[in-house]
Amino acid sequence: MDDTLYREELMEVYKNTSNRGRLTDPSIEIMQKNPMCGDEIVLQLKLSDTNPRVIEDAKFDGVACAVSVISSSYLLDALKGKSIEEAKNMTKEQLLEMLNLNLTTSRVKCATLVLDALKNAIDQYEQR
Amino acid sequence: MLKTDLIKSDCPILKREAKNHPLVYLDNAATSQKPRQVIEAIADYYANHNANVHRGLHTLSEEATEMYEDARRVVAGFIGATDLSEVIFTTGTTESLNRVAFTWALFNLQEGDSILLTDIEHHSNLIPWQIVAKQTGAKLEYIEIGSDDTGNIILEKFKDKLSSLSGKVKLVCFSQASNVLGTILPVKEISKAAHAVGALVCIDGAQAVPHIPVNVQSLDCDFYAFSGHKMLGPTGIGVLWARKNLLESMEPFIYGGGMIDVVTLNDSTWAVLPEKLEAGTPHIAGAIGLSRAVKYLRNLDMKNIREHEVIMNTYALNKLSTIEGLKILGPADAQERTGLIAFSVDGIHSHDLAAVLDTVGVAVRSGHHCCMPLHKKLNISSSTRASFYIYNNTDDIDRLVEGIQKAIKILGKNKLKNLEY
Repeated sequence: MDDTLYREELMEVYKNTSNRGRLTDPSIEIMQKNPMCGDEIVLQLKLSDTNPRVIEDAKFDGVACAVSVISSSYLLDALKGKSIEEAKNMTKEQLLEMLNLNLTTSRVKCATLVLDALKNAIDQYEQR
Repeated sequence: MLKTDLIKSDCPILKREAKNHPLVYLDNAATSQKPRQVIEAIADYYANHNANVHRGLHTLSEEATEMYEDARRVVAGFIGATDLSEVIFTTGTTESLNRVAFTWALFNLQEGDSILLTDIEHHSNLIPWQIVAKQTGAKLEYIEIGSDDTGNIILEKFKDKLSSLSGKVKLVCFSQASNVLGTILPVKEISKAAHAVGALVCIDGAQAVPHIPVNVQSLDCDFYAFSGHKMLGPTGIGVLWARKNLLESMEPFIYGGGMIDVVTLNDSTWAVLPEKLEAGTPHIAGAIGLSRAVKYLRNLDMKNIREHEVIMNTYALNKLSTIEGLKILGPADAQERTGLIAFSVDGIHSHDLAAVLDTVGVAVRSGHHCCMPLHKKLNISSSTRASFYIYNNTDDIDRLVEGIQKAIKILGKNKLKNLEY
């Protein structure tokens, strides 16, 4: 693991991200588990009534390591204001680029937990 | 007292650095490191004796066969097996347990029967029984083992359960030593209670054989499984020991060369034990490596190894308990556990803790350690585990403690909480 993960500004995100918590009236909510470590996060999205629907707000919560929390926080920042279609097209590579961390294979899974949650949340929403 | 410096110098890997720090290897419950004697024994086999066993009449094949069968003698002696044909080489504990499940239990259990387990088992001593239960209609029953429970309390729980299930239990399966709590279970006494109600006993010895003297005769169990790689040996080799009459009654787990008596186009008969249960070319080099590992351990004496681990446990429990917010899992008494300590630190995820420890060269394990139900019961998603072996000393524990303190300083407290659903 690159020591830079635990640098101060990232620790600030880890400890105090405002994207962590719960929405009062989410349009979509999903729980995602990382079977490798037992972590679980809940992802909530609030969608607009407009057409196309836009992600107005998003929150995550749960048990997760620093990589997962920081990644979730970055992804949620990027999601706000995007349409469902745009969110759906978000790739693992884009997320990892946004994070710009030198992650080992096992920790990439921590980083992409929130992205898996996002994909499943959208799938679930579209199947309604 | 073990001469840890000498043992350390025998293990080439322990001379290396990790992240520019001298390596402190504390992930021995996952796999141990290998002394050069073991590495050289494997290299010597491949360099000088390599051939297939049991089927060649040439010099090399006879040497290889002799070395492979000698390995069986050494391993049998180490665990107190009196009959060599009761020692079956497998790929490891997982395969050994699967063999008991799918070549004994599947044929001998039916609806109305119960399999008694504990709720702290490694997934490899849980999932095979779940499948057996689904396929036979047998029911899984559990002894609930508390984090602090020790020998006599656990024995009483077994006795109560066995008597309340009056005669239904046909098989009792549990780890002699827990891979998370470290707890050592009283196998001999539990076996006696199980046999009294007509149940057989299957032991997962993966975390016991490397650490405490084990004698399958005096433990009085019926099946015993363990792995080579946690006890200085190579990966891919392990053992299933079982009573001869049971092994004779069991169908082979895999079929093929080396395990037959007579083969016709329409039917086949099986060789005698142990060949019957070792189809295909065995892991010859693995058995030879394991045998060398056993000799290394025997030379140190398992009693001394156990004594060393109690000393390490005492020191580590003492040091770790001074860290604020650190919660130790398992019995408080160093005598009641093998040389491993799993713990959680308030507000710090085990992955982050392990990652920070890695930055100072300390290797520990983080996660659920293949014990998801146990972690769920303890209401934590994961834990960090430091596990010791014969080359570790108290300096290694000091490095661990310094690393944990560094992690607490960096990561501080975060609002980690389990989701409520």
